[in-house]
Amino acid sequence: MTMGAILETKSLNKFFRDPVEFQALKNINISVERGEFVSIIGSSGSGKSTLLYILSTLDTDYAGSLFLESDDLSKKTKNELASIRNEMIGFVFQFHYLLPEFTVLENVMLPALKLGKKHEEEIESDAMQKLELLDMKSQALKKANKLSGGQQQRAAIARALINDPKIVFGDEPTGNLDSKNSQNVLEIFKELKKNLLQTILVVTHDMNFANNTDRIIRLHDGEVVQH
Amino acid sequence: MRPNIRIALTHLKAKKRQTIVAMLGVTFGIAIFIFQAGLMSGFQSTFINQTVNTTANIRLYNEAEKDRPSIAGQVDSLRNNLIAVRNQKPKEELPRIKNGLQIIESLEHHPEVVGVSPFLGSQSIFKMGIATVAGRVSGVNIEKENLLFDLAKNTRQGDIFDLQTIPNGIILGEGLADLLGAHLHDNINVISPKGVELEMKIVGIHRSGLTEADKSRAYINIRNAQKLLQVDGAYITDINIKLRDINKAEILAKEFSLKYKYTAQDWKNANANIFGIFKIQNMITYLIIASILIVSGFGIFNILMMIIYEKMQDIAILKAIGYRDRDIRVIFLTESLIIGFVGGLLGLLLGFTMQTIVGNIRMDVKGFVSMEYLKFNQSPAFYAFAFIFGLIVTAISGYIPARKASQVDPIEIIRGK
Ligand SMILES: Nc1ncnc2c1ncn2[C@@H]1O[C@H](COP(=O)(O)OP(=O)(O)OP(=O)(O)O)[C@@H](O)[C@H]1O
Ligand SMILES: [Mg+2]
Repeated sequence: MTMGAILETKSLNKFFRDPVEFQALKNINISVERGEFVSIIGSSGSGKSTLLYILSTLDTDYAGSLFLESDDLSKKTKNELASIRNEMIGFVFQFHYLLPEFTVLENVMLPALKLGKKHEEEIESDAMQKLELLDMKSQALKKANKLSGGQQQRAAIARALINDPKIVFGDEPTGNLDSKNSQNVLEIFKELKKNLLQTILVVTHDMNFANNTDRIIRLHDGEVVQH
Repeated sequence: MRPNIRIALTHLKAKKRQTIVAMLGVTFGIAIFIFQAGLMSGFQSTFINQTVNTTANIRLYNEAEKDRPSIAGQVDSLRNNLIAVRNQKPKEELPRIKNGLQIIESLEHHPEVVGVSPFLGSQSIFKMGIATVAGRVSGVNIEKENLLFDLAKNTRQGDIFDLQTIPNGIILGEGLADLLGAHLHDNINVISPKGVELEMKIVGIHRSGLTEADKSRAYINIRNAQKLLQVDGAYITDINIKLRDINKAEILAKEFSLKYKYTAQDWKNANANIFGIFKIQNMITYLIIASILIVSGFGIFNILMMIIYEKMQDIAILKAIGYRDRDIRVIFLTESLIIGFVGGLLGLLLGFTMQTIVGNIRMDVKGFVSMEYLKFNQSPAFYAFAFIFGLIVTAISGYIPARKASQVDPIEIIRGK
């Protein structure tokens, strides 16, 4: 195990059996260092999303091992993984995925309310702080579905950060944004890395985005061809 | 507030119209439950009260010859043949209870007995002018009879105790008086099967509430009944007994029967057929109520399935940020229970209101029993039962969608775009 690695895979293999047997990931061995900002690129169908779902513990149907801070996640139960996602992992998806009927503030608070380690007032002030970090404080009390795409993505980033996760995953977080907003999100990630030493792993199609990260992992037909 | 409950409430608020419709389904289900069950039970207890009030707790009589063997069967030459005798008539009147007065005396000293009343009944024809009605006279000691059946309370006109002072007094049932066109203090003629005719003066009009009885029954002094039947002054056919505790009727009936060697029938036994009808009636009522609630259950099932279908993304995201399957189940189960709880409370209120309104409308029902107003059983137990039953239906109809929601695979939703 590499020193300082926060996330690591050993001989990760993934098969889909439906409609025909198909190996989507072949013997993946990668690691992400603490405080690293890494991007995963590759052509469409190369297995980027598939890999990200496994790394982020949403998909448990794989062979091989996955370590988060030296803890073997491949042996955990569904409920244990849910707690790990809640406490240690932040998510930013392509399609924002805020709960539309809740306010921005409530959306940001949800993971912390689930964690239940702090009082509601404390969680609320934490959430406001994260929103301020993303320049979203003025939107806090708006319903999530009343925001623009770029604003929604920033709210989603604030939500990903609320429990101070070990690592933030992004699945094409700029895929649905115009170039100005994409640039904005990139800047935010860079600042999180620089100021908070936040570990970030992002799947992207956007070469400009990837070139601005510390390191690029390239996939081709389910294999790592550069890391 | 717990996040799961908060999410549930937010979902419902976002779907106000459908939520209200689902709630109203429960509301009407519960309201009809309470209304219908309260009506049925209220009717039955009114009927039981009226019946119990007019049925002796225990009635002692001589059944000796009721099931007499056919005379044909007693003929020696026919011994070895099968004999069928159709339409064998029982004797018209019951045979006497011998030493009746001693038995009454003895019963009056029994610690469980609070009243004993001798009885001599007879078929008779009532005549007033050209009006003629067939019915029965009950020969009683009015004071003792009143102790058993609270006759004074049901007296519409006159004073029933005049029966003791006015030698030829008679108390008519309200329906019987109407049929004869007779009024208080009128004189009518009573003719017995023996052909004895007495002229009697109406001293009271009485209403028991049992329509059939009120149309055919009259009370007279037991002496006059003996005159009508041309029997001696100790002749009685029944002894009616009132007990301290009517629930001991069955046991005590057995005791008296053994002790006095006459048939003793308790009130439950006497009305066995009615209780049988009530059982069927209750079953039908509860079947109808259950089907209504099942329909409400489908309403909840429907709205929840709809919410879940629309909230697939929410479910996926909640799971991604660490909510467990159980949390998702709790969220949607909470939604259905909120619908059931609020809908149920409103249903209790609506049911109560319906009962109060209908209970205050003058009905003057004259069927099986007669009553001026419908009586509802408004016992809290009914309300509690309806409410709990509603919650159970709600929980069951909410559980299936909730389980389905908890099984959603977040990857499929997140990848699906
Ligand atoms: N549920 C599934 N069942 C069968 N095959 C699948 C399934 N999901 C993905 N695949 C296949 O696995 C391969 C990798 O898919 P994946 O979604 O990881 O690609 P990707 O690199 O994210 O592509 P894109 O850039 O288009 O998002 C593809 O060939 C895809 O068809
Ligand atoms: Mg993809």
